[in-house]
Amino acid sequence: MIRLPSRRDEGWRWADLRLAERLRAVPPANDRLPDLAALRLPVPARRAVLAGGTVVDAGGLVARADPDRSLAPHPLADIAAEEARAGLVLEVGAGEDGGIVECVHVGTSGAQHAVLRVVLGAGARLVLVQTVADGAAEHWSNIRLDVRLEAGAELLRVLRVATGRGLVSARAAVRLAASARLCDLSLVASPAAARIETHALLEGEGARAELHGVLIARGPAGLDAVSRVDHAVPATASRQVWRLLAAGTAQAAVEGAVVVAPGAQKSDAAQSLRGMVLQRTAAVNLKPELAIHADDVSCAHGCAVGEIDPLQRFYLESRGLPRSAAQALLLRAFASEALAALADPRLSEPVTADLVRQLEALA
Amino acid sequence: MLDIRDLHVRVEDRPILEGVTLSVGAGEVHALMGPNGAGKSTLAHVLAGREGFEVTAGSVTFLGQDLLAMEPHARAAAGLFLGFQYPVEIPGVSNLLFLRTALNAQRRQRGEPEISGAEFLRRVRAEAEVLGLDMEMLKRPVNVGFSGGEKKRNEAFQMGILAPRFALLDETDSGLDIDALKVVADGINRFRGPDRGVLLITHYQRLLDHVRPDAVHVMAAGRIVASGGPELARRLEAEGYGALAA
Repeated sequence: MIRLPSRRDEGWRWADLRLAERLRAVPPANDRLPDLAALRLPVPARRAVLAGGTVVDAGGLVARADPDRSLAPHPLADIAAEEARAGLVLEVGAGEDGGIVECVHVGTSGAQHAVLRVVLGAGARLVLVQTVADGAAEHWSNIRLDVRLEAGAELLRVLRVATGRGLVSARAAVRLAASARLCDLSLVASPAAARIETHALLEGEGARAELHGVLIARGPAGLDAVSRVDHAVPATASRQVWRLLAAGTAQAAVEGAVVVAPGAQKSDAAQSLRGMVLQRTAAVNLKPELAIHADDVSCAHGCAVGEIDPLQRFYLESRGLPRSAAQALLLRAFASEALAALADPRLSEPVTADLVRQLEALA
Repeated sequence: MLDIRDLHVRVEDRPILEGVTLSVGAGEVHALMGPNGAGKSTLAHVLAGREGFEVTAGSVTFLGQDLLAMEPHARAAAGLFLGFQYPVEIPGVSNLLFLRTALNAQRRQRGEPEISGAEFLRRVRAEAEVLGLDMEMLKRPVNVGFSGGEKKRNEAFQMGILAPRFALLDETDSGLDIDALKVVADGINRFRGPDRGVLLITHYQRLLDHVRPDAVHVMAAGRIVASGGPELARRLEAEGYGALAA
């Protein structure tokens, strides 16, 4: 049996996996599902639903757990591969447009695992939305996504986690061939626990990955993200923008890693990690990690934690905005920086509306 | 309109204002002058409701209401506008979104209907043209990347759109070249009216060459030490604050 990582393990210091330990041996229950219509992103899409470790609706996808075994080991992803009873496979042929696919994951009481596999042929396109929600029960929902983008393929993925209880661990590993494009946005808003990992492997020249995220931690939440890009070959590019907000006694953390392999010259990486604490009882941890083994590269990074600027707030109030509205406007401005790369007009409006709604829950 | 009586204010146990009494009636423009550290900007921020200032004595009545009992946004909705000496940069919030949100927040507080998008844009265009502001600039984040002069013009622009009853202008003239000074002065002169009031805080006589005040007050060490007509400003320019502040 694969061992769960603990806080003593490198890279897991801020992860709150207590529910995984407690629920690992508890099979998922067949709980009543919450209202799915209210959960999904309001865009025209093909939709699949997974709940309690089973495929409720394959939405036209192939129902099979088929992990990419060539990926490096990862404890939670490997547990998913080992224990998943359900999964989906989505292949988009070369040059085809797969449209928008939304996969709704519902956590029911107990532990459940899912494996998603996406393969985009050369020049293919896809928008993948993953929406993770739950009911009233404690759960561990462990989701593995393995993606391969062939030359020139383009994937836009939005991960939305809006859970009330339980632990969500979602790990995406994306391999990009030459000139492939990945734009990835994680929008996680929860009073519970989450461990979100996105790992982009730039394996072909001209590949570009954008890994962005917003963590909105409220109540007793422990939200933890890892955003990692491997520049394995020359002339690849990456951008990472993460904005973390923590209120109450919540904790939010992100590790942003950029790894430039020996010989990966002309790598172009930029990373910005910023946090905001709404009360002094909350905490944000930022961990930029740059491992650069080539000399002709550009790797910009910045990282800062702060609070709402009282002078900015007063300026807005002095123009007639009540304090709560002034604060909401400042928080929106702060978090929106992570959404700037979301260029698809079909998604930018509903995702922004999603963000605004989640920020309102903070006020 | 604005009636300040014996106002005492502390910041972290340090007295800054020590009994300010000043009254500005409807239709009047008053200038408040004085050396650095006299307490002019503190007075402006206390009137607008900024946190961190402790009023230990005195009262302020604005249009018959107890101003000090009101939240900052309610003071704005009641018609008070503070033009900042150092306008604040707010990344990520576009000028126009901010201004429309603020205008509608004020209108809601006053029980008025929200302004339509078309009407708002009509006002914006008209005001921008008068102040020589570029529409593209107004779509950018609030004051971010603006020059000192652009920031001050943006304050005048906001004042034009929000149409307050009383303008409290804190060193609106600092950092302006002579052309920008004239534009801002024209803005103040256009704002003047029988039911409006202005308190103009300034270091220098030069703004008063373009905006003729009805009264001039000199503040030093937290008190008004002299009051008079426009000639007082010219005397100060010639003789300095030293004689009055002593």
